[in-house]
Amino acid sequence: MIEFIQFVLAPQMLNGLALGISVILVALGLTIIFGLLDVINMSHGEFYAVGAFGALALSALGLNYWVLVALVPVLMIPLGVVTERYLVRRVYDGADRHVSTLLLTYGLALILEDVLKIIFGPNTHRPENPLPGATEFLGVFIPTYRLFLIAIGIAVILVVAFVVYRTRLGAMVRAASFDRDMAASLGVRVSWVYSGAFAFGIALAGLAGVLLAPVYSVFPTMGRDFILIAFTVVIVGGMGSIWGAVIAGIVLTQVQAISSLIVSPVWSEPIVFGVMVAVLMLRPQGLFGRIGHA
Amino acid sequence: MMSVKNLFAGVAFAALAGTAALAQDGPIRIGVVTPISGTYAGIGQQVSWGLDMAAEEINTAGGINGREIELIYEDSEANPAVAVQKAEKLMTASDVDFLTGTVNSGATLAVGQVAERAGKLIATTVSFSDAITGSGCSPNVFRVNARAGQQSAALAVWLKRERPGAKVFYLGPDYEMGRSTVAAFRKNAEEVGAESTDEVFAPLDAKDYSQYFGGIRAARPDVLYTSVAGNDTVRLFTQLKDFGLLDGLTVLGASGTVTSQNIGAIGDAAEGFITGVGYSTQIDTSENKAFVEAFNARNGADPDLYGADSYGLLFAYKKAVEAAGSTDTDAVRTALEGLSWETPQGVKTIRAGDHQAMQPVYVVEVKDGAFTIADRIAGEDAIGEDVCDRF
Repeated sequence: MIEFIQFVLAPQMLNGLALGISVILVALGLTIIFGLLDVINMSHGEFYAVGAFGALALSALGLNYWVLVALVPVLMIPLGVVTERYLVRRVYDGADRHVSTLLLTYGLALILEDVLKIIFGPNTHRPENPLPGATEFLGVFIPTYRLFLIAIGIAVILVVAFVVYRTRLGAMVRAASFDRDMAASLGVRVSWVYSGAFAFGIALAGLAGVLLAPVYSVFPTMGRDFILIAFTVVIVGGMGSIWGAVIAGIVLTQVQAISSLIVSPVWSEPIVFGVMVAVLMLRPQGLFGRIGHA
Repeated sequence: MMSVKNLFAGVAFAALAGTAALAQDGPIRIGVVTPISGTYAGIGQQVSWGLDMAAEEINTAGGINGREIELIYEDSEANPAVAVQKAEKLMTASDVDFLTGTVNSGATLAVGQVAERAGKLIATTVSFSDAITGSGCSPNVFRVNARAGQQSAALAVWLKRERPGAKVFYLGPDYEMGRSTVAAFRKNAEEVGAESTDEVFAPLDAKDYSQYFGGIRAARPDVLYTSVAGNDTVRLFTQLKDFGLLDGLTVLGASGTVTSQNIGAIGDAAEGFITGVGYSTQIDTSENKAFVEAFNARNGADPDLYGADSYGLLFAYKKAVEAAGSTDTDAVRTALEGLSWETPQGVKTIRAGDHQAMQPVYVVEVKDGAFTIADRIAGEDAIGEDVCDRF
């Protein structure tokens, strides 16, 4: 029994945690963009891919990996601002915002994927693992980079939650999301808040791309990888809720990790989506409410 | 006005007469239905390089019975439905004598049925599925490349020689190809005395293989057999390495598991990987060295198994048509059955019973980031039994 816990269950749960943190990193930007702008960003996965390819291209120029972790998200910000100002905003005030923004971002996703294919070719690339080797942690053997991923992921989650819930900037963002006209009349520059929040979400996608590239490798269709599970996490957690995304991300990946010990791993995805269906039936708003709507 | 009309009529008549003459003793037309666009465009490129090069060599040397070879290409888009449509177009509109080029096994099986109905012959130089010259065989379909079963049989011969009595763990992608390759290798491995521990099937495009590592650790295998491909291989191998599972473990796999397309991304996690293939540029014969050099000079890239097998095909066809004295389907089929001919990878022989080419299979190993030949398994040891019962 002890052996089972030490050699099978504990590593499985720790791996599940690393995967959960990865999923949360992708889902964070998604939930912020949804919670604030009420836009379902279907191109989020492709921005994640752009971040990873950006890191790949810059590291070919000789930049250190740790510099890229800080630099790539910053470079993603102008891309996010341009996308929001010149694409999303054009259809934002139309009659059917959900459908038109969904189609727009989906189209953007297809274009970005093909652009990456044209520039970098269809083959897989992999940046060198900056922390090779494995570490023994409480008697469990885990690759060092995954431990680092868990640590930096928790730090990123805390910083994002702090900015959204505890700063003046975050208060403006939450106010604009709750009542756009009222926030505007109180002097909040709603237009910039929207661009800024969208760009922040895109920057988080780019950061996830850099951080996950050494583990999951880099290829043009990588954007599709995490997008389904990330959407599930956002829906289960409550669209727009940061803590909801964190809890849903960890619970769902643990369900996946532990269930695959008992049933065939092929069934772990239907189980995860089954949980999503159950949550939608019992609590359609998700486990937590939207940003600004608590 | 009249004279101008007559002139046109005269030109048109001359053109028609020209075509009629061409059909009798003009070039031999070979239709090539191959993916020029889409996922398999890289394979289609090798196929066309190999065929074009062979056609040029044959035409320069006087053609087949004095007739030149003309290759007519159609894009199959790696889609069986499109491939069938293009093959029908080639057989009716272009009146081709012979078909080749199909890449995915589904396309080969589908085009094979169409060709059989139209009374034409087709040979694949790429498709791996055992069914093409097995349960789904057709009197009009030939295969000149090594099928999946030959590769797996060759690996099993190597396993018996180098790792006798090994404990083997199997990990395949969870769809038809993954399940059939694992089942085939498991059967071959158990026949040579290997002990099977466990098998798992991971979904295609799995992100993380670490969930299977507990099972692999618990089974303590000497050998891991896998048939994942493309990007899945990159993730599986690098994660195995990150988790320290590659120490003391021999990884065997299908020939599509590690390829020139993903070997760079896998990096040193690919070291020591072993597979069985029908061709390698490393084959140490003067014929192959000359072939590799000429291929590289003409196309700016080395041949892979698809390029080499496609190149070899036209020489088999040439020999068969010369023996038959015409391009008549029945006569050429009879001539191809049992035919032996020279290729860059050695002598190949088409088995009459199922139209599968017998050829030596090479066991290759990744060393310093490149494939090197570890062993050569004779054609008779790798061919496997003839299960075709249609002819």
